[in-house]
Amino acid sequence: MEGRQKNKKILVLVERDNGGLAPVTFELLKAGKDLADQLGADLCTAILGHEISAVLNEIAHFSDEVYCIDNPLLRDFRVELYAQVLWKICCDVNPDIVIMGHTLDNLDLAPRLAYKMGVQIITDCINLTIEPETEYLLCTKPVYGAKILSTFKLEKKPCIITIRSKAMEPIGSSDANGKIIYLNPTIDESSIDVALIEKIKGETIRLDKADTIVAGGRGIKDVEGLKQLEEMVNVLRRYFSEVELGASRPLVDMGLVPSSRQVGLTGEKVAPELYIAVGISGALQHLTGMLGAKNIVAINNNPKAPIFEVAHYGVVGDYQDVVPAIIKKLKELL
Amino acid sequence: MRQLQIIVCIKQVPDPEGPASAFEVDSEAKKVVPVGIPPVINPFDENALEVALRLKEQNGAKVVAISLGERLSKPVLRKALAAGVDDLILLEDPNFKDLDSYSTAYILSKMITKVESYDLILTGRQAGDWDFGVTGLLIAELLQIPSINLAREVRIVDDRVFVEKLSRYGYDVVSAPMPVLVTVSSEAGDLRYTSVLSLKATSGKPVKVYNAEDLDIDPEKLETRGIFSLFPYHIQRECKFIEGGSSAEKGENLIIQLRKDELI
Repeated sequence: MEGRQKNKKILVLVERDNGGLAPVTFELLKAGKDLADQLGADLCTAILGHEISAVLNEIAHFSDEVYCIDNPLLRDFRVELYAQVLWKICCDVNPDIVIMGHTLDNLDLAPRLAYKMGVQIITDCINLTIEPETEYLLCTKPVYGAKILSTFKLEKKPCIITIRSKAMEPIGSSDANGKIIYLNPTIDESSIDVALIEKIKGETIRLDKADTIVAGGRGIKDVEGLKQLEEMVNVLRRYFSEVELGASRPLVDMGLVPSSRQVGLTGEKVAPELYIAVGISGALQHLTGMLGAKNIVAINNNPKAPIFEVAHYGVVGDYQDVVPAIIKKLKELL
Repeated sequence: MRQLQIIVCIKQVPDPEGPASAFEVDSEAKKVVPVGIPPVINPFDENALEVALRLKEQNGAKVVAISLGERLSKPVLRKALAAGVDDLILLEDPNFKDLDSYSTAYILSKMITKVESYDLILTGRQAGDWDFGVTGLLIAELLQIPSINLAREVRIVDDRVFVEKLSRYGYDVVSAPMPVLVTVSSEAGDLRYTSVLSLKATSGKPVKVYNAEDLDIDPEKLETRGIFSLFPYHIQRECKFIEGGSSAEKGENLIIQLRKDELI
């Protein structure tokens, strides 16, 4: 081995949430640290926004270098501006690998950055490793609606990777104490044609923080059915601190449940202690969002539903009979 | 005012709703072999088609659908014509095989510049086979036009689009001048029903087909996905089925079991 090469760098884009660090940030840092160790590279972080000083010291504990752009224009996420400044950081830092969370914002940001940098991008990865003899990056992502795992070999550097949340362990402790480097590039708003007119707030729920999720699927036909699930959520709240209602895509597309509660490939990835799937047949695109749950309970009237292949506990029956009985028993016990 | 021109990019994929067993993996050849399931238009691209057809109804527009692939099924893609699309263009060439997102976007953008004019380009947010979600935005970058990702609704007023785009906690209303590219999410709604009658009625409509040479594309410059390995992704757990005389009794027994296992 050639030993530590100072010029190799992994750049992780820090995700923030309500002024703090978003949980996925620690997963990105772990992925970045593992690659940095395999490559003998520095782990650098990039943080963009406005009034972000509160998290800088914490992030420095996990980084060899922190690149920070604090500018009022970056207060809200505007993809064109974020792409512009992140590109500038990449030009300065010259990273081998850029790691970002596979978040809604980054679904928008990462391809634009890839185009500006003229580099390859692989999205929604669940595993990253370095091929030792070549030092090429191998990244694995579920494809075909999560029926198949595909590993891509990236022979060119730099490259951009987005990582699915809850797919990797969060970073534990780190003894780094990185230098915070403030960059102050000119931000050009004039070339941006897309105007933000209004931000419509839906519910501000955090499905990925829930310790228990009761999720409904296509089998839940109406608002009445949803009310039963909501009642189950309320009873479970006596015992668990964070219980939320979730849904598979059909209920969201029908407009019965807001997008923020959707679990699956194009929704949230969750890993609660307890996941109760009601009337969910178990299309792989849903399963891929909840396979990390520690305990899965499935309630479905079709004994052959694929959800039972991943469930720890199964109840074959009509949810309209099963759920009221569950609620009654829970009320007795909790 | 001249007529509005809308282009929709549609990809042919093996039906993503097919069971896991329908997707055989040839790990040696690093290929996915669909077994016993028909190809379909990528569901997210169907959402984009529906958006285009609604805009056609509301604003009056010519809608052109473009599909790219190594081997395309005309009967499958003709569904777009039956649904109400005016023209269908197929980009078919043996070299258009296993392309990466950039090469795909490059070919589509070459075709789009050949279409006489365009105001709005629509694509699905991602394809149901490789799930990258990159090609649409790259097309916009290559054409140097603005783009808006993850639309749940698209409207056109005068010469601007107004889009509701998904955000972490709701949605943003954004607006941009045309031409513009918008990627569409499933929240926009399913493609309208296409009857056998409308399939028959449009079966005589000519379909334009172009190959790499027609588009001045040098196959040497196209890049394929660098697949290193491919494996089925399947989890099979031992499910404990809860017994009981009735559905209600099973429900009660479930809770008793969960309490016994100290989960609640």
